[in-house]
This record gives sequence, structure tokens and C-alpha cells, in this order.
Amino acid sequence: MLADKQQAIFQRCSSMSLTLLLQGLAIGLVNGALYILTALGLTLIYGILHIVNFAHGEVFMLGAMLVYVVYVLWEWPLLAALPAIALTAAVVGWLVERGIFRRLRGQWLQLLVATVGVSLIIQSLSWLVFGAQEKNVPSILPGVLVAWGIRMPYERLAAAGIAMCMVAALYAVVYKTRSGLAMRAIEEDEETARMLGIDTDKVAGLAVALGFALAAMGGVFVAPIYSINPGMGLEAILMSFIIIIIGGLGNITGTLVAGLFIGVVQSMGALLLGAESAHVLVFVVMIAVLIFRPQGLMGKL
Amino acid sequence: MALVLMPAVATTYWMHIAIVVLLNITYTVALFSVLRMGYLSLGHAGFIALGAYTCVVLTVRLDISPWWGILGAGVMSGTVAWGLGAMTMRLRGIYFSLAIFAFGEIVVAFFRAFDWFGGPSGIANVPRPVFFGHALNDHFSFYWLVLCMSLFFMALLYRLQYTRYGATLLTLKTEASERLAQSVGIDAARLKTATFALSCAVVGTMGAVHAQYLMFINPQVFTFLTSTDLLIYAMVGGVSHFWGPVLGAGLLTLLGEQLFSAGYWKTLVYALVLMVVILSLPGGLVSLLDRVRDKWFSNLRN
Repeated sequence: MLADKQQAIFQRCSSMSLTLLLQGLAIGLVNGALYILTALGLTLIYGILHIVNFAHGEVFMLGAMLVYVVYVLWEWPLLAALPAIALTAAVVGWLVERGIFRRLRGQWLQLLVATVGVSLIIQSLSWLVFGAQEKNVPSILPGVLVAWGIRMPYERLAAAGIAMCMVAALYAVVYKTRSGLAMRAIEEDEETARMLGIDTDKVAGLAVALGFALAAMGGVFVAPIYSINPGMGLEAILMSFIIIIIGGLGNITGTLVAGLFIGVVQSMGALLLGAESAHVLVFVVMIAVLIFRPQGLMGKL
Repeated sequence: MALVLMPAVATTYWMHIAIVVLLNITYTVALFSVLRMGYLSLGHAGFIALGAYTCVVLTVRLDISPWWGILGAGVMSGTVAWGLGAMTMRLRGIYFSLAIFAFGEIVVAFFRAFDWFGGPSGIANVPRPVFFGHALNDHFSFYWLVLCMSLFFMALLYRLQYTRYGATLLTLKTEASERLAQSVGIDAARLKTATFALSCAVVGTMGAVHAQYLMFINPQVFTFLTSTDLLIYAMVGGVSHFWGPVLGAGLLTLLGEQLFSAGYWKTLVYALVLMVVILSLPGGLVSLLDRVRDKWFSNLRN
């Protein structure tokens, strides 16, 4: 039975050209990079504060919405719009840390419920303010790259490139700066960090602000690719959760590896089994990781 | 008493409210039985949907009696929950929450993907059970079915708290006490899995009844927002006590059904209430009642 199925799949493969497989791989890698872009801020906040930020997807959605409002409706130049959105998200993050996370520090259940609450507030407000109508941000980089028979829109390639740059930047912040050192110290042992004179409240605020800004930037860069509506955050956070579970909660390298891996699994699955089954396949991979390697592919931060 | 007399005096509209309130209370109490051991399920709606779909597919597609459909729904949800629980409950709570959240989303995507399961538009004309030749076709007779089943499940979950098993569950709440429990020979993983499976069997069964009440099912009926609604009912009511979730689900459902026709206003108000309760009243509404009672008693004593 199983052999029969494998035979059938192989036959389909050989009848398909190699180009199609390569195309699938390329789409998978680029989609994976977009997933990483989405999941990065989530990893940062979990890695340092051990908070799973459920509101992450909604901030991502808010980033995409704001770029529509600021860039398309108000016609700001792109170079002014990006910092403005990042700053707005950072301020929101700082306020959320101040008003909510700090008061519930150490109670993971209440924290999780609180982030769910924040996410519901942002989402329902967005439905009420922006409406259910799908919005589109026009392509900033039109055109399609064709190489070795593979076709890839420049837009997606650029977003994937930006994702990689943001991973590199986050690495630099966490491993090369003094604030990054402080963040890692808090992750290791908050009490000792405080004894050594680190202002843990300030660093926690900084980390959450940075995580929110990353989420919003993710939304900004996928805005021309996806169509935008207030429900997009939920889909984004589902993939992000699957990726951070597979990569290891709070592990930046793990997020990188798992994002690319899941991107490829999904596109290959869609190619061989159909798009709906690919969704289920991704879930099965996550469960398999939970059973055989619960700490994730790359382990802890 | 009021619950039993209700059909005699109420209008159809109020019977509808009563049915929805009872369903929500039972879901929330089932969620609470998992919360009680320190695990947060963010995908209970997925198990409600699984039960509802199982029942609908059995009765509409395979022409099996609605009673067997209800039973099959409970068995299906319970079995799947047992499998998932066995895989995820060995890990820390956060992994469980995330994995169950993912399950809740995937299960609906799965039903949406296949035409046999009704696809995006769902399946209509779900038959209702026939009770000794009497079809439960109006709100009044269906109310009795919902009432009996919710009272049965609530009594079951309530009683279980005071058994040896229910007391043991409380020891699994924190990592340290769980280790202690294991050191005296308690099979923590199995107990937790069984509790989760029971809770999901309950919501799956009620989901089947819910689908029969609506007489249709589609992927938009039980979504993530259903899971969060249940969570909000439980937290607002208070999770220190069995009657907290009952109170929260009852009050908020009544309010929600009365005040809001638009879903997003309801979500917004619910979420705001949730934040206020979490930040300033960690014990929920029942802790208020407790406080009033304590004051009253201490006044009496003086």
C-alpha cells in the first residue's frame, strides 16, 4: 500500500520536469524567508522574557494596514513611512510592556491570556476602523526574475532579502551590543542581572518595543505581496507558532532554519499532494518535532 | 428549579437564549477542568468543531441516527484529544497551548478543504434526534435535550473534582508539585491526558448537539474567537472555583446576546472586560462574591 503510493508519487515526479521541482524549492525558500520575517519578533520576546506574545500577529497586521494608510492614502514617501510605522509599533510595544506585561511578570498563564486579550482588542478595533474590505498596496518593485527556467517576482525576492538582513541585524543587536548583552543576561537569570546593576525593567521594555517594531516591519514588507485585511494576523501567527515550536522557542537560529524548512515542506507538499494537504502536512511535522525533539531543531537560545 | 419551569413561561426567543447559555456554560466548565491543572487550551473550538462535524457527517452523509451521531462526536473528539494530549502534555504548558491552538486552526482548514465535508459553505439540513417518536423540532423540546446533557456533564465534572482523581489533579498545577506527585508514584502524564480527553469529549458531544440545534455546520461557526470567548468566560468568572466559569459564561453570554448584534463590538467589549479583570481582579467575579461573604460573616461574628 505504502509502496504503491510512493511509486505513484515518484512517477508524478519523473513526469514533472526538474524545473518544476526547482521552482517549488525556490518558492518554498522565499516563502520561508517571509515566515521568518513574521516570526522574528516573536522569537525575540520569548527568548528574553519567556512571554509568548499572542498579539504579535495583530501587530503584524497593523504594520500592513498602516503602510496602506500612510503610503497609499496619505501618499507619504516610503522613507518617511517606514520609520514612522516602526516607531509607532515600538511605542505601542513599550506601553504594553509597561501597562500589562510588567504587572504580570512571572505568571505565564495570566501573561498568555493577557496577550490574547491585547490581540483581540487590536483585531476587533481594526475590523471596526478599517472594515472588512480587502486592501492592496501597489507593487513597489514590479517585474519578474527569470533564471534557469524559474520565475520569481522581484517583490518577493526583495522581501526575502530584507528578511535575511533583519535576521542579521537582530543577531548584531543581541550578540554585539551592550543592550543585547543585558537582554541575554536577563534571559539567563533575571535576579542576578538585576543585582549586577542591569535595569531589567528598561531592558524588558526595550525588548518588547523591538519585538513589536519587528512584527510591524514584517507586515510592512509583505503588504505588497498579500492582500490586507484585519483577519490576516491570525494566519500569520499560526505559521509563526508552528515555526518557533519547530525551531525551538526563543532561538533565533532555530527560527531561521525552521522557517526555511517549513517554507520548503509546504511548497513541496502543495506540489506533490495539493495545497490543502500541505497545511495538514506542516501540522504533522510540528507534532513529529514535539514527539521526537520537543526542544526544537536547534534547542534553547 | 427555574431551569425546569422555564419552558412553561418563556417565549421562543428566551428559549434560544437559554439554550445558548447552557451550551456556553458547559463548554466553559469543560475548559475549566483543563485550566484547573494549569494547562490553557487555546483550541477548544477545534474540538467542538470536530464533534459537530463528526455528528453531521455521520447523520447527513452516512444516514446514521442522530443519537449515534452525538455519541460518535464525543468518542471522536475524546480520542483525538487523547492522542494530542499524550504527545504535548509531557511538555511545559506553553507548548501545549501553542500546539492545541495550531490544531484548532488546522482542523477547521481541513474540513474547509474537502467538498465531502461541505467545503467553505458547510453542510445544511442536519437532522435532530427523535425521542420515543417525538421529534425535537422546536426550541422547547430541544431545550430539554440540551438541559439534560449540560446538567449531566456539569454534574460529572463537578463530582470528579471531589474524587481522589480530582484531588490528585490539583497537585499537577506547578512543575515542582508535579515532580513531587510523580515521586510518590502518580502517573502525571496519563492523568493529564485523560482529563484533557474527557474535557474534549464533553465539548465534542455538546458541539454535536449545538450543530443539531443550528441545523447546519460550516467552518465559520467554531473559530479561534470561540476558543477565546470560552477563555474570557472562565477568566472573568474566576478560575479559583467551579462556579466561576458558570457565572462568567452565564453572565457574559446573556450580556452578549442582549447587547450586541455586531460581532466585533462584542469581541472588543469582552476583551476589555478580560483585561480589566486580569489586571485588577485576578480571582474573577467569584472572588468578589467570596469577599462579600467573608465580610458578611465577619460582621455576624462581631
